[in-house]
Amino acid sequence: MSGRVAGPGPVARNADTEVFFDGTAEGKFLLLGCQVCGSINRPQAERCASCDATGLQPVPASGRATLVSWVVVHPRPREGEPPGPVTIPAIVELDEGPWWWSQLVDADTDTLTAGMPLTVEFRTPEGSEAVPVFTPAAG
Amino acid sequence: MSQSDANGRRRPVIAGLGVTEMGTVYGRSSSQFAADAVRLAVADAGLQMGDVDGLLTSGGTTGGVGLGLQRDLALFDLRLLSEMQAFGSTAGGMVQFASMAVQSGMADVVACVFADAPLRPGRAAGDVYGGGRRPDRPSSAPVPAPSGWGGLMLSAGVSGANTMYALGARRHMEKFGTTEEDFAAVAVAQRAWAAGNPLAQFREPMTVEDHHASRWIAEPFRKLDCCLVSNGGVAVIVTTAERAASLAKPPVHVLGWGQGHPGRLFDRDPNFGIRTGAAQSGPTALAMAGVKLSDLDVVELYDCYTFTVIVSLEDYGFCEKGEGGPFVSSGVSAPGGSLRLNTGGGQLSSYYMWGMTPLSEAVIQVRGEGGDRQAFPHNLALVSGNGGILDHHSTLVLGTEPV
Repeated sequence: MSGRVAGPGPVARNADTEVFFDGTAEGKFLLLGCQVCGSINRPQAERCASCDATGLQPVPASGRATLVSWVVVHPRPREGEPPGPVTIPAIVELDEGPWWWSQLVDADTDTLTAGMPLTVEFRTPEGSEAVPVFTPAAG
Repeated sequence: MSQSDANGRRRPVIAGLGVTEMGTVYGRSSSQFAADAVRLAVADAGLQMGDVDGLLTSGGTTGGVGLGLQRDLALFDLRLLSEMQAFGSTAGGMVQFASMAVQSGMADVVACVFADAPLRPGRAAGDVYGGGRRPDRPSSAPVPAPSGWGGLMLSAGVSGANTMYALGARRHMEKFGTTEEDFAAVAVAQRAWAAGNPLAQFREPMTVEDHHASRWIAEPFRKLDCCLVSNGGVAVIVTTAERAASLAKPPVHVLGWGQGHPGRLFDRDPNFGIRTGAAQSGPTALAMAGVKLSDLDVVELYDCYTFTVIVSLEDYGFCEKGEGGPFVSSGVSAPGGSLRLNTGGGQLSSYYMWGMTPLSEAVIQVRGEGGDRQAFPHNLALVSGNGGILDHHSTLVLGTEPV
């Protein structure tokens, strides 16, 4: 482990994200299923990316994903202070297909590789909705 | 030389270049820099302000370079006026629209200007583009949590150009084996070019070791992988070849242009970090100009990060896809190499004026005004703009003569 890793910051709900955060509050990562062609779409979709149908319905994701890309963000050093914790913004590919721009937690930055399996976790910063984050899959 | 092209249209040229004092220059706003740059460009061309009948403006992070610049400059009864925004591809886009305007007869003398003044005393350069949440340092004043899908990305730290481009760079490294040494090769080569550029903010020599010793910003990017931040303004004057024939400076013909906007950012996109809009804008511009890559004497690529240069070289076809790292590490782009690339030091070492950085250096080179860093020959130059997160591209082909 190459240093402390910070978790997500707070986020508030708005009209667009109500359904999604209702899901995260229950430990679910809600995607959107197409009632016409069966495709699974990302949570922010208005229409099905495959067939352009509307009327997408929430469907819980498996929570499994693989790592597409990641960055280890270092806070600016402050003179006379120890280095702050890094954050690990990441792109993950959900097993259902969509990509999700998120964050890794409980990860050893020295062992990350593209394609490694991940699982979703939920973190709730103070004053925030529950935020989905990803961590290397056990085993 | 005919003053018209094969289709009877007037030929567009860049006849003037204005570059203000650049860098940590305080006390002037972006609109003041913009006005200065336009006046300098008009004077450089040997024109009068009253000759200007078109104005295209572009502001950076601080805005303020909009339609009001017409009043600031007392440019009355303009025949073309617009504020443009496609991020780092804007400068190239302005020259493209200005060229079409003079080609068609819509306007005769169009000033295209970018200016920004993000640097302020006591404020870190990174604050401007960083998006910089410090998770270990909660603000004393309560700030409302961000909301919406964008807010969710912010909460995860997916914000700021450094992080976004680093996510793209990491993909390139994982897929093709591109290395930090390859990134360093870009930074070192451009610093060597900057030594010959009196306008450059950073001219002292840099080694690979210097690069590796610079602190991490967003791994895989170190500080010396990131462009600098500048206050200042740059303007060019686009007019007809006919008009330029009697003006002060050798005309720089605008021979070809193209744009590419993939539009898949934040969606599932196997090309993210791998293939950019330059793969579309480049061939379009070269075909319009009727030239091949091998005809180019000078190449000025947008270099917000070292990685941007590597992926752009691949997308234009200077090397095979995935070979950009070894290509730059071969030394091909350092002074004395076979590719005259980012000859003024680029945004990494000279000055950061979005797409005006590669454009201004190309104009200097095509004119033969490059002094210690002048490329020979300098008949044809390619200018690449890159904006958003590898998401907006513009390409120009410039030359000493109509093709």
